[in-house]
Amino acid sequence: MRPFVYARPATLPEAVALLAAHGPDARILAGGTDLIIRLRDGSLAPAVVVDLKRIPELRAAIGEIGGRVTISAGTVMTDIAADSLVRRHFPALAEAAAVVGSVQIRNRATLAGNVCNASPAADTAPALLVYDAGIVAEGPGGSRHIRVDDFFVRSGVTTLARGELVRAIVLPLPTRRMGAVHVRRTRRRGHDLASVTLCCAVDDAGVTRIAYGSVGPRPVLRIDESGLLADPGASDAAKGALLEAMFAAASPSPRSMRASPEYRLAMLRVLGKRALATAIERLAKGE
Amino acid sequence: MRESHRIAFNVNGRRRSLDVAAHHTLLDVIRDDLELTGTKECCLVGECGACTVIVDGRVVDACLVLAVEADGAEITTVEGLAVDGDLAALQAAFLDTGAVQCGFCTPGQLIAAHALLAENPHPTIAEIQEGLAGNLCRCGCYGQITEAVRAVAGEIAP
Amino acid sequence: MSGPLRVAPVGCSPRRVGGHDRVTGFQRYAADIHLADELQARLVTIPVARARIISVDTRAARQVPGVRLVMTAADLPQPVPRFGPQFQDRPVLAVGEVKYHGEPVAAVAADSKDAAEEAARLVRVEYEELPAVFTLAAALDPAAPLVQDAALRPGDPLAGTNVLREHRVGWGDVDAATADLVVEHAYTFPIVTQFAIEPHVFMAAPDADGIAVWSSIQHPYWLQKILAGLLDLPLAKVRVLAPDPGGAFGGKQHTKYEPLVAFMARRAERPVRLVLTLEESFQAVRRAAAEVRVRTGFRTDGRLSFQDIEADYLIGAYADIADRVVGKGSYVGAGPYVTPDVRIVARSVLSHTLPSTAFRGFGNPQVNWAVESNLDEGARALGIDRLEIRLRNLAHRGDRFIPFDTPADGAWEQAVRRAAELIGWGSPLPPGRGRGIAVGIKSGPTTGLSYATVRLLADGSAVVYAGTSDMGQGARTVFAQIVSTELGVPLDWVAVVMGDTAVVSYDQQTSASRSTVLMGNAVLRACREIQAGLGAMAARLNGLDASAVIVEHGVVRLPGRELPIIDVLTPGLGPLGGELIGNGEMRKDAEPDHPLGGSAAFFEFNCTAIEAAVDEETGDVTIVRHVTVSDVGKAINPLQVRMQDEGAAIQGLGHTLMEHYVFDEAGRIRNLGAIDYRIPTSMDLPLEMQSDIIENEDGPGPYGSKGMSEGALLCVAPAVAAAVRDATGAVIRDLPLTPERVWRALRERTAR
Repeated sequence: MRPFVYARPATLPEAVALLAAHGPDARILAGGTDLIIRLRDGSLAPAVVVDLKRIPELRAAIGEIGGRVTISAGTVMTDIAADSLVRRHFPALAEAAAVVGSVQIRNRATLAGNVCNASPAADTAPALLVYDAGIVAEGPGGSRHIRVDDFFVRSGVTTLARGELVRAIVLPLPTRRMGAVHVRRTRRRGHDLASVTLCCAVDDAGVTRIAYGSVGPRPVLRIDESGLLADPGASDAAKGALLEAMFAAASPSPRSMRASPEYRLAMLRVLGKRALATAIERLAKGE
Repeated sequence: MRESHRIAFNVNGRRRSLDVAAHHTLLDVIRDDLELTGTKECCLVGECGACTVIVDGRVVDACLVLAVEADGAEITTVEGLAVDGDLAALQAAFLDTGAVQCGFCTPGQLIAAHALLAENPHPTIAEIQEGLAGNLCRCGCYGQITEAVRAVAGEIAP
Repeated sequence: MSGPLRVAPVGCSPRRVGGHDRVTGFQRYAADIHLADELQARLVTIPVARARIISVDTRAARQVPGVRLVMTAADLPQPVPRFGPQFQDRPVLAVGEVKYHGEPVAAVAADSKDAAEEAARLVRVEYEELPAVFTLAAALDPAAPLVQDAALRPGDPLAGTNVLREHRVGWGDVDAATADLVVEHAYTFPIVTQFAIEPHVFMAAPDADGIAVWSSIQHPYWLQKILAGLLDLPLAKVRVLAPDPGGAFGGKQHTKYEPLVAFMARRAERPVRLVLTLEESFQAVRRAAAEVRVRTGFRTDGRLSFQDIEADYLIGAYADIADRVVGKGSYVGAGPYVTPDVRIVARSVLSHTLPSTAFRGFGNPQVNWAVESNLDEGARALGIDRLEIRLRNLAHRGDRFIPFDTPADGAWEQAVRRAAELIGWGSPLPPGRGRGIAVGIKSGPTTGLSYATVRLLADGSAVVYAGTSDMGQGARTVFAQIVSTELGVPLDWVAVVMGDTAVVSYDQQTSASRSTVLMGNAVLRACREIQAGLGAMAARLNGLDASAVIVEHGVVRLPGRELPIIDVLTPGLGPLGGELIGNGEMRKDAEPDHPLGGSAAFFEFNCTAIEAAVDEETGDVTIVRHVTVSDVGKAINPLQVRMQDEGAAIQGLGHTLMEHYVFDEAGRIRNLGAIDYRIPTSMDLPLEMQSDIIENEDGPGPYGSKGMSEGALLCVAPAVAAAVRDATGAVIRDLPLTPERVWRALRERTAR
């Protein structure tokens, strides 16, 4: 690993100032589970590494205020997967957090890091899209809120501006009863990068939200408000055409060695169908 | 541009204070500076778990932690499992069930299993397999490792 | 389990000798050893499969503070020394041309790892990329570039091709043979890597008139011989220290970068230490890919009438031991069956890929995959049960199933019947489930030479010197158990010394599952010498004729009474103390006229039976039950036998279900490293694993033991593929059975 300057700001303004000053020469260190790999393989060689873990506002915390659950930037996957608020209101996010890497990885990897890497395969992204999460960004101009759907651009690129960092992720509490599930495809049952990752939620108003990743440059959200998909009585054939339309945005890269585009697209449909059935079942059971 | 930082942490209950380079990982420092070579180096991408240590009560891959981040931490490595020279129950169970072949992954497996049991004293087989999935064993002792953890958890006779 | 001071005779399973250090972190693997004043080395490579090296500029690298040496081929003796276990073809550093992705062009040595890494990055290699061949089809194309300079192969009629060698073996006349049914198919097996969790480590330290080399190697004595040749030193001045490897699986058998660090250490006049990254280990060792075409002739009753096998193995740019792998692995290709007419043609095909080497199973799994799968095809076409067709053709004890080799040396049908029983062969299954059964056979060592020394010390404890490498198979425990049994020494009182050619007598190698049989017999013979010494002592002390004394199983029997050995040893040695020394030699000489240079010391035989469930929509294969039954003669340590068998089975599931190298269009490995080269984790296991053994005490090793530990890997793939086919009807002839591949096969089945 090439040497760099390690900075551990104690306050948010200090961190923002560092990031603003160094721009692309600075990289944020949160859990380090992606950053340190890339520092070692040389694909990143920043001058400054800014460790955010000693900033009080970013310390691991999950709390509910004013109809929103806020997950601070320092919160790791293990805590999200185990958190009672998250499990109660956003079970598919808890499921997604629980399959990110191994225990060792989940003890370090943060949700904020996962979204900031903007990997198309990020397992938490579909759930965040389905739950209409927002990103609280802190920058030189102050704080702003970005809808997660407006946050992802493509692999490694987000709409964060120079000097901005993610302070927290906020999830509005669902206003309706929901059944939701996260599913994925991997090359083995043990931890692996997803070749398709998908989240599906149906609510008691008949709205179905499906978000999927790893089948294009960024994760995609599609919403069906017709009530057809959520209808337990509707036939698979009737749902099929609608699902097709929802999956039309998928465009897997032919360059991936993990699975061919053809297989990914086929699995997207299988996962979509299965996830929809599970979500409907969970809604019915009140899970 | 070689930055050095003074850090202090407790390793296996012993206070250690030393200067570390900013770009050196906790694994580098444990193996090269502290000369605690029980923690192993293999994939360096957080996939194999050979470098698993406990930091502040949680298992991590030491290859993906900068040493400077561990300033002030409480760290346990495999060398810290035995008490006064007596094998911990888990270490003994690993030997008795046949969970050790070449032994290179064993320190990481033991640390991961130790942390798993601390959190969940009576894990199911699925929980053990999930909890230890971040520790690769190429000799293929997985069945025996699970058996060892279950024996310590009192689920089966050792 | 053994408490302290217990005799641990053969047939029980005491704790592993060396186990304590392995669970406490005190086991010293090669990377845990540091030498005073050592330099840290790094390799310099370029991201191509093949290139002409135009220049290597080391100036910037030399400027890095702490850098003591930047070595290129020009800094080596000229012509650059070449080495290899079979052919002297591998240069110490690339000469003129890089022939595979990862072949080192230069190496740096510095005071620190940081400086070495920085300097390695600053070595500027100017090169011209050249067309590379990295598939069998490309390498065998008559227009293909030659991987090896024909000048390196003088007098070789194949020198103008990429075929390094062609191996032909057989009997009867396949061309004249007739059959009621002929089944012909081609099968492929991918490149997979050993992935020992311990990456390879090499260190060298010069001294006044010799060199000491540390390596995570399986064959220290072979390395010693190669280094002595390269450095022009007598064997006695080359000391190889070989700490227990942290997993090897064949990948650590042969010399890799030891000559490089030795030349570097001599030039720098300081110890040099090279610890490979996992990625570099992936570029150092792997199994040969293969395409195997099989024509199997059957009678209507399922009896085999002929087997015609053509196997092309994709080996690397340098031979390493790959050609022996090809020759020996294909040799038993026709399986443990009595087949009247057999022809096997196997070719080692050079390519611009990293050298392939030994890997558990040694060339057998590739052919076994094809032959066993084809046998299933025949059974299906004839309407004969797949278990039954195997039993009908299986060789029985004494059958010369290979006419010019060791006759069948086990009651193999017992293993097959046992596996069938354990898997519940023939009982109904729910939809989506299927079963497969396959057998595997591997020729054991064809030559061998092992020396052992046992010292029975004055207090009754013992030291064993054995040049085997204990890489997890548990050789130390087995040897200690033999000594414990023969000399009545508590297991905790036996020390087993290995891994130092200056201290421990010669052992040819640790491979082919040989150590329990060959070194085990040498240890047993050393014990016999000590027993003879004890017998003479007892006779002298008691005024008896030596013939009246029997020493066995740890006791001395005199007419009418029995004494513990220590009661003879103490008075026998007298007040000065001292010790009794026993030496044992076990030799299996070469047979020059034999196709392999020697007949099999034993055969490893295994039967694997699988129950699998297949998800028709995704192609996911779940191994519901995995049964593996090996004929081991006698389990000296049953727990270790189980661990080896189950471990081999899981390794076999790796190449069956998920492992393979992926190359880009230029021949570079894309899934280099642990993120995208997937091996089984604790979550990828069969839902149920059951291993069992057949023990008829009919092997040539101590107490009737046979070699084991590779068998359970040999036939995993055909058993799993057969279960998938049984469950779904999907036919797959290419490994691994990834979900995507199974999904495609399911779609093709539907299309038919």
